Amino acid sequence: MNVENAKAQMRKGVLEYCILSILSKNDSYATDIINKLKESKMIVVEGTLYPLLTRQKNAGLLSYRWEESTQGPPRKYYSLTEKGHSFLQELDQSWQDLQEAVESIKKSA
Amino acid sequence: MKKTVSVNLGGFVFNIDEDAYKELQVYLSLIESHFAHDHGRQEIIDDIEARIAELFRAKTGTGKQVINIEDVQEVIKTLGKPEEMGEGESSEYEQEEPYTASYRTYRRIYRDPDNRIIGGVCSGLAAYWHFDPLILRIIFIVAFLGFGVGLFIYLILWIVIPEAKTVAQKLEMRGEPVTASNIGKAVRDEFNNFRKNMKF
Repeated sequence: MNVENAKAQMRKGVLEYCILSILSKNDSYATDIINKLKESKMIVVEGTLYPLLTRQKNAGLLSYRWEESTQGPPRKYYSLTEKGHSFLQELDQSWQDLQEAVESIKKSA
Repeated sequence: MKKTVSVNLGGFVFNIDEDAYKELQVYLSLIESHFAHDHGRQEIIDDIEARIAELFRAKTGTGKQVINIEDVQEVIKTLGKPEEMGEGESSEYEQEEPYTASYRTYRRIYRDPDNRIIGGVCSGLAAYWHFDPLILRIIFIVAFLGFGVGLFIYLILWIVIPEAKTVAQKLEMRGEPVTASNIGKAVRDEFNNFRKNMKF
């Protein structure tokens, strides 16, 4: 059992939750999402994001559209689908449950 | 003095030093093999290439024209090594059969564009079964001159057999396991051949 591995496992599920939360506020393109995740120190390397986005899209949680950009090539803007919204609601609930569970266990211990 | 190569990344042309090009090519091949069994592989790679182009564009423009090896290394550091990008296909969304061995050797027939004379059909079949393509070429020529069917068969094979385009596909064609080290080696070989050919 090494701590890096445990941390990575923990972060992985939460990262998917964070991506959905970011997109629930605004439709964004990958670099916006990267910047937000980097600010909050959720990701270390940018490459982590791309496979997750593609998988969430393939799972029907996200969709994207191409938008022209003034600073370069067209950008892929991701947004939450109906399914993504309900998925996020469930994650919100489970995040709260987890938080409470961890808190109560820590207090009683 | 250094030679530069021009590359198209995400629809933009960049001039890049030869050594930096080699580094970038190995990096992209490693990513490709990392996601080899992922359904969204091409999309992930396109997205990553688009991001690399975006980072390169931030580098050039201020009087600087050429991407050098430091730039490439910096970009690789920002994006991370393939193994830091998380697992390949996660089982959460799609239930796939479990891996029986960690490295399954896929063997597939491809046309071999590197050793082709016409369409790479003979060289591809020869690479798959490990024999000299010359034998097959002679058989085809005899079948064509003698019976007239050789050309017809050849054309059908040309149509139905896909060409080995990526490094991973070329390894599959030869029945070699698609692992990171094999990919790296194959890319370096290819690059050295390319250099040799350029020296004419």
